[in-house]
Amino acid sequence: MEIRKTLGTVLTLALILVLAACGGGGKEKQTASGGDTPSSSNASPASPDASPVTPAESSDAQLEGDFEIQYFVGGYGDAWWKDVIAQFQELHPNLKIKQSAGPKINEQMKPRWIQGSPPDVVYIDGAGSNPRQMIEDDQLLDLSDWIGQATNVDGEKILDVMIAQPEQYGGKTYNIPLVFGSYGTFYDKALFAKNGWEAPSTYEEFLTLSEKIKAAGISPYIHTGVYPDYILGGFLYPAIISANGDDGQILQDMGDMKEGVFASEPVMKALNQLAETGSKGFIDQGAPALNHTDSQMLFLQRKAAMIPNGLWLESEMKNDAPADFEYGFVPSVTQSAGGKYVALPYTSTMAVAKKAKNPEAAKAFIQFIFTKQASLNWAEKTGALMNVKVDLESSSAGETAKNAMKYYSSDNTLVAPVVVFNADVFKVMCDATVALSVNKITPEQWAERVEAAAAKARK
Amino acid sequence: MSRQLQRKLFIAAFLVPTFLFFSVFVLYPVAKGAHISLFDWSGSSEHMTYVGLDNFKEIVRDPIVWKAIGNDYFLVLGKTIGIVLLATFFAVAVTRLRIRGASFFRIAFFIPNIISIVVIGVLWRFVYNPSIGFLNSFLSLFAAEPVNRPWLGEEGTALWSILWPSIWAGIGFYFLLLVAAIMGIPASLYEAAEIDGAKQGRQFWTITLPLVWEQVKVSVLHIVMTTLNGSFVMVLLMTEGGPDNSTQVLGSYLYQMGFRQFHMGYAAALGVVILIVSLLTTLVLQRLLRRDTVEYS
Repeated sequence: MEIRKTLGTVLTLALILVLAACGGGGKEKQTASGGDTPSSSNASPASPDASPVTPAESSDAQLEGDFEIQYFVGGYGDAWWKDVIAQFQELHPNLKIKQSAGPKINEQMKPRWIQGSPPDVVYIDGAGSNPRQMIEDDQLLDLSDWIGQATNVDGEKILDVMIAQPEQYGGKTYNIPLVFGSYGTFYDKALFAKNGWEAPSTYEEFLTLSEKIKAAGISPYIHTGVYPDYILGGFLYPAIISANGDDGQILQDMGDMKEGVFASEPVMKALNQLAETGSKGFIDQGAPALNHTDSQMLFLQRKAAMIPNGLWLESEMKNDAPADFEYGFVPSVTQSAGGKYVALPYTSTMAVAKKAKNPEAAKAFIQFIFTKQASLNWAEKTGALMNVKVDLESSSAGETAKNAMKYYSSDNTLVAPVVVFNADVFKVMCDATVALSVNKITPEQWAERVEAAAAKARK
Repeated sequence: MSRQLQRKLFIAAFLVPTFLFFSVFVLYPVAKGAHISLFDWSGSSEHMTYVGLDNFKEIVRDPIVWKAIGNDYFLVLGKTIGIVLLATFFAVAVTRLRIRGASFFRIAFFIPNIISIVVIGVLWRFVYNPSIGFLNSFLSLFAAEPVNRPWLGEEGTALWSILWPSIWAGIGFYFLLLVAAIMGIPASLYEAAEIDGAKQGRQFWTITLPLVWEQVKVSVLHIVMTTLNGSFVMVLLMTEGGPDNSTQVLGSYLYQMGFRQFHMGYAAALGVVILIVSLLTTLVLQRLLRRDTVEYS
């Protein structure tokens, strides 16, 4: 009995101590440990007279103090980041730059954002990051006024040199798109040439072509049913914009969850196009079960003729394509005759933390990297496109990227606005779109589901 | 120092550290999770809004939650029946039926247990692949037209298609457990039974099963608990909960809500629901499986 009592007391005390330690001490501990990420910080300050000074910034005051950059390292690597940060450091030798970077950086920095001591500038990319959520969480600085007149270090207006304009959240700008690419429909030029097929330039042509491909015993159109982002970006969104008279505003309204927009006439027309493509048996029957690797493999094996995908496709499947495979790309297949191609862009963006300790340096850094030179550097280091218009012909960017760039600079292509959806609405839209593509639900039911999700998210 | 104090200190020296670890890694997270479930929190924001039991009210109204609970129990039932039946059958086969190559089977059945669950998921995705998968190619041999059924992409077949690999991957451990238990039964019992003229079937029902009942019970409980808490890995690997949420289980829905749709409070509430469901199920099972323990002396 005695033993029990004593033990009981000891254990209770121990529990209290532990809980107290966890609850109280957490803050300081996490703050201290938040930044210990694989980073190579603080390039040694160059001597002042060695720093290249261009006319534009010679008048600028030298920046100083601490400056922290958070960037996700994924498919694009970190070579470009290290390079531009070293250049920035040379320009501002008194600035103490800290890089918090890595493939898991979003999770590693999360405690810092939660506790209100975020880095100064952040590149938002990778799993677990969503700019709309960061804005809803009130974590990003409103850049609307600043970006309207900001110039880069070469003296050009940043908005003028960008391919895709910044996303709008309720009419405000919080983040600046750094990476640019677009969805589109890919096909194999070699296969098309062999069969005498032409890449479709209108929805009518798409249907006629699909009929022919189907007759030849190949699936006309395959997509990644497990991740419906692809069919949304490559088929449905462009179809909606085409149906809206080539006006991208409707996508913006969808992003802002305006009441009724998901049941509006252009959306219904686009949904009917998807339902029609599905009911005619042009969409590969297996698509709902496929993830991106599956669907892309089938496309490369020529078991399916067309696939909605992003510009990264070529480099992602570099080692798997047959030797005679030739990537062809059209931005969209859903426009009617006389309509423009609609390129649905995807981006990864830069933003300044609302609680940044050095917002001046953060803005200066953005001005420093949105230049043609940095853009060329990006294309060469990553093979992808940065969101600054630049002539790529002489660069080492991938073929698909170069082809796509031609579309973007053509008058016959509309680059849609970049829209990031509310995560709840997006999930419902994904589920409903796959269900519609196999004709399990009607376009009206699609609209009903998504409108309901939007109504709930608006609250 | 008195003897008694020494004794108390001795006992405390063993219990306190374990209890501390238990508190830090089990009690505290559970309590914290339950606490978060009372808030509206995105999981990344500085601000948490206290909403009382709203998350739980929302859960009751959420049709996907009910679907997920149904799917959870479908997997629990399917896996328990499938694994226990097959594991028992195989265990009896390699120990009592004197088949050839028993040691080969022992290794063969255990192999899925040492393969990472991720590999199993990817492997079976290939088996089910609609155009180049093994299953459809195999079925096409017997059909007039090539079969290209998207097993994981149709709502009617997707959950069943997750069940088979789960059973396949689960058998090995319980098989070994039962083999060990059967080998522990004294041979004299079987000899006596044989002299009395009992056939294999009779021997199984009156000797083997009663004497390995404890292990069967442990197996059932263990399968139920690991399925309720762990089947989401298989779901995420094979279907991501789709198509159209038809294969969602509570665990995968928790992940979806917490980390992809930024409702950490709601996800924490789902975690509490999983905890309650698991506890209740285990309690009910304990009662159902109660049976006089038979011991040989």
